[in-house]
Amino acid sequence: MTKNEAGEEKKESEVKKAIKGLVYGMAMHGMVSYALKTRMYLENLFMLITMGDMLGVPVLPPYYCLRLLPYCVPHIKTWKRTLLRERDVTDSVFA
Amino acid sequence: MSKALSVKEYFASHPNIKYILFGGKGGLGKTTLSAATAYWLSKRGKKVVVFSTDPQASLTDIFERNIFGKGEVEIAPNLFALEIDADKRIADYQEEIRQKIIKMYGEVPKEVDDYIKSSAAEPAMAESATFDAMVELMTSGAYDYYIFDMMPHGHAVRFLGMSEILDAWVNKIVETRKKAAEYGDVAAVLSGKGSLAQEDKILEELDFIRSRLSFVSNMMRDEEHTAFFYVLIPELMPILDTKKALEMFRQFNIPLSGVIVNQVYPVELLKQKNVPEFLKNKILMQQKHMKTIQQEFGPLIRGIVPMFDREPKGLKMIPEVAKALFGEE
Repeated sequence: MTKNEAGEEKKESEVKKAIKGLVYGMAMHGMVSYALKTRMYLENLFMLITMGDMLGVPVLPPYYCLRLLPYCVPHIKTWKRTLLRERDVTDSVFA
Repeated sequence: MSKALSVKEYFASHPNIKYILFGGKGGLGKTTLSAATAYWLSKRGKKVVVFSTDPQASLTDIFERNIFGKGEVEIAPNLFALEIDADKRIADYQEEIRQKIIKMYGEVPKEVDDYIKSSAAEPAMAESATFDAMVELMTSGAYDYYIFDMMPHGHAVRFLGMSEILDAWVNKIVETRKKAAEYGDVAAVLSGKGSLAQEDKILEELDFIRSRLSFVSNMMRDEEHTAFFYVLIPELMPILDTKKALEMFRQFNIPLSGVIVNQVYPVELLKQKNVPEFLKNKILMQQKHMKTIQQEFGPLIRGIVPMFDREPKGLKMIPEVAKALFGEE
């Protein structure tokens, strides 16, 4: 393969990538963001009903919650930040 | 009206009984009757374990042997007793969780460690640990009979109700988890990225918790394999308590196999000369309440156990109690 041909191929794949990105941005991004946001809300709800007493929200006996704790460790910080974040009107306007 | 079946006849008519529970107010002899039943069954060649779920458990006193926190201890051939140290069980469990986190992430973050430590102070923690120990023992399948000396009435109802409430709670969590996973999968497919592997692990844990809880719910309602006896004495308060308990168990759809009247003063004593006034009044009072018991619980009365002239404990007296309850040692 000549240098010119290789350059052509690279250009073609970049164009393909750009078109793919454009299509994703136009058609998919909104849906993916929506799905991820809904998932985040459900994750937060899950954390609240299992680990709520970390924030002073009483939950059912924590005996069985402790079994779930190891899987929640990486999300605790983000979850606490999300739940305790101060909100104002602009949050709901620009959410 | 047909005559009420005795405990022995009840067992004969329910040959698949595996779990036997004794409930009632505190101090009426649940532990003694549990021990006597365990003794009687073990004498018939059955491998039996008697377990106390009462935090004020006294199997150690009944068998005159320190078994507290020592696991399943063989008291006599085929007869095992278990009195759990809930605090130790909680501490071991917390350490197990800590080790799991270390294995997964290399360390336990301080706030997580604080949370684990503080969880031991939760009021329902000891109850949950006992509940878990009870399920673990039953699912081990190592014995022919599992006899449970339950905690006093109020606690017992809460204890049994707990499995129902927790079951509903776990179902709700599973539902949330599954929905979150669905949205995660949609996002992963649309963006061409992989999904999180930990999802299944959490659902696996939730399934495990659910299986433990439903085991107890099902066991309590399974008349073929479970016998639940309520212990009372011929006095007003225990009679009222038993009536209330019957109503509550009905609400939980838990069938009661029968009541056992304990600590009944022998009426023959009245025939003796110079019966002290105190004793005479006590016997007459009990006889009056025996009539009420007969009216209220007639077909459910499975046994009447007398008051003994000495404490019914130790391997000398327990056979006496078994003899009174089953008609033979």
